Amino acid sequence: MTARIDFEKNSEKALGDPSLQATLRSAMVRFRGLRNSAVEEIPNWQALRQYAHDVKAHALAHLDRYLEQLERQVTEAGGVVHWARNADEARILITQLVKSSGRQVVKSKSMTTEEIELNDALEHAGCEVTETDLGEYLVQLAGEQPAHIIAPVVHKSKETIAALLSEKLGVPRYDDAQQLTMVAREVLRRRFLEADVGISGVNFAVAESGTVVVVENEGNARLTTTLPRTHIAVMGIEKVIPRLADLDVFLTLLPRSATGQRMSSYVSFLTGPRRVGEADGPEQLHLVLLDNGRTAIHADSSMRESLACIRCGACLNVCPVFERTAGHAYGSVYSGPIGAVLTPLFQGLDVAGDLPFASSLCGACGEVCPVKIELPRLLLELRSRVVRQQGAPVAERFFVWGWVNAMKSARRLAVAGKVARAVHRFTSAVRLPLPYPFSRWSAFRELPRPAAKAFRERTS
Amino acid sequence: MTTAREVILTRLRQAADPAIPLPESSRPDAQPSDLVSLFIERATAVGTEIETASPVTLATAIIDELTKTGVSRVAMWEDRLLMQVRAALRATPFQVLDPWDHARDTVAGADAGITIADFAIALTGTLVLDCSPAHPRSTSLLPPVHIAVVPAAHIVASLGDVLTRTGPLPSALTFITGPSRTADIELTPVRGAHGPTRVKVFLLT
Repeated sequence: MTARIDFEKNSEKALGDPSLQATLRSAMVRFRGLRNSAVEEIPNWQALRQYAHDVKAHALAHLDRYLEQLERQVTEAGGVVHWARNADEARILITQLVKSSGRQVVKSKSMTTEEIELNDALEHAGCEVTETDLGEYLVQLAGEQPAHIIAPVVHKSKETIAALLSEKLGVPRYDDAQQLTMVAREVLRRRFLEADVGISGVNFAVAESGTVVVVENEGNARLTTTLPRTHIAVMGIEKVIPRLADLDVFLTLLPRSATGQRMSSYVSFLTGPRRVGEADGPEQLHLVLLDNGRTAIHADSSMRESLACIRCGACLNVCPVFERTAGHAYGSVYSGPIGAVLTPLFQGLDVAGDLPFASSLCGACGEVCPVKIELPRLLLELRSRVVRQQGAPVAERFFVWGWVNAMKSARRLAVAGKVARAVHRFTSAVRLPLPYPFSRWSAFRELPRPAAKAFRERTS
Repeated sequence: MTTAREVILTRLRQAADPAIPLPESSRPDAQPSDLVSLFIERATAVGTEIETASPVTLATAIIDELTKTGVSRVAMWEDRLLMQVRAALRATPFQVLDPWDHARDTVAGADAGITIADFAIALTGTLVLDCSPAHPRSTSLLPPVHIAVVPAAHIVASLGDVLTRTGPLPSALTFITGPSRTADIELTPVRGAHGPTRVKVFLLT
């Protein structure tokens, strides 16, 4: 049984850390600026979002068919397809695949493998696993979890990173990002040259051609999928798209939404393993299709569209809550608005029922989502499920009960208005906080000031 | 015993919805007129260096570049477009690694890799590299400098144009937009995170 995620408690550390607040804030502002300029360049951006939404909706509605087609095509190209119902099955399966090839594993960024906590399982089985995305490598060295889908150490300052590398690798405390990156490059390059197995994620899998698409900037995913003799690609079953031609749109939407780039530095279309006579590329390609709760979300028709997510991180970057709490508060690998939807769906409302409330419902996430997932609607729907299942807090119930009763008659509303004005005059005069449990609300918000005279009193 | 595959597919089938159609293909709205100058602008913007050359000057231009960079070992594709370059390199002290010499340790020891690009995408400044016995993947990946020969006629407007023009896909089709980069540390852009620090294009006109 997983422990309940206490969002409020989890966010205390980040909220009380001024250096983290400053680093995170400036990163989010930068990300938003970069994204906006890249989006403005595409005149039919809104039409492309709609298109991507429709393609994903179609692919999800016919997921069984497209997965079977993908399996056929990958197999025809010489790859091997595996299916896993849950994290346990996937871990056992992948561990077996790894052990039949060796024990040195390099990994490029994959949220799906974080989701199933693959590294622990592999290390348990005696494998040496190295995360090779710079941010993920730093997270691994620090023994932490990534704080952002596409920028894992966005919460760490350069100084913190310099201290970490110095402590773990015995190098001097370099003070610029270039030198720090080169330290990591050198260590990781050696790992790449020795690795037996490369494990990668999958951004898109094309059913019609059996192609696995991997998007990145650093080149570590290319190294991971090129040098070791075995490549294991791990994907959630929702990542399949029907046609190669659809990538024109998806690869316009993804980099611009994620980092504001016109195109990521490297995009690899991988169709099967190395072919006869080729000098490099993996001899074996395994594609692992993971369910782990996705078929349940798929069957939940009002939540299904959350499976359309392409993991760009744009909704994190615009979220006023994420900008203050960073990713760890969400208690799972998926954070921000999409995490507040996916984690409760994956782990259940009893574990993650807090998360849909970690939102001001400002709507920015829904506006930037490149595949037009209606995040605010999904958050609201989950909130109502939480309330139906667990009930609302006492103070909220009491307040709503009072509100309903006051609104039921003109006379009671007038009385309530008078009481509210009197209370407000009193509390603001003596600077008195509202009594518990209302203080939990008022500690972070200002009560709206009631008008000096009720509207009806003014007109009558 | 039912397999994971059957269980997953059965669940998905139960919730399938044949009413939701697949939309007609769509694409970004952009019809640039001058592809070559747009490619130069966009590729330069991501840090790719561009030099124009003619088939006659190409070999000399590449040898000059290698000399300037202080290269001694070069990994290189076998390709019609590179035949003269290869012949010219034979007459120099540069050590040339052929495609069949592409064991990972060997290529990792090269100072530069020379390839062609099947296509170049103007809108994003992207090089598109295929893969075959004569075109290994690591030539453009392991050495710190990647040199690509791109005939101007290979430049197309968008990714969509590449997708309609490629036949059956190779085992790896690689899209390269500028040098390897990261911004993981305080969003400071750094080149050469894992792949080449420099990408130099010789544009054949």
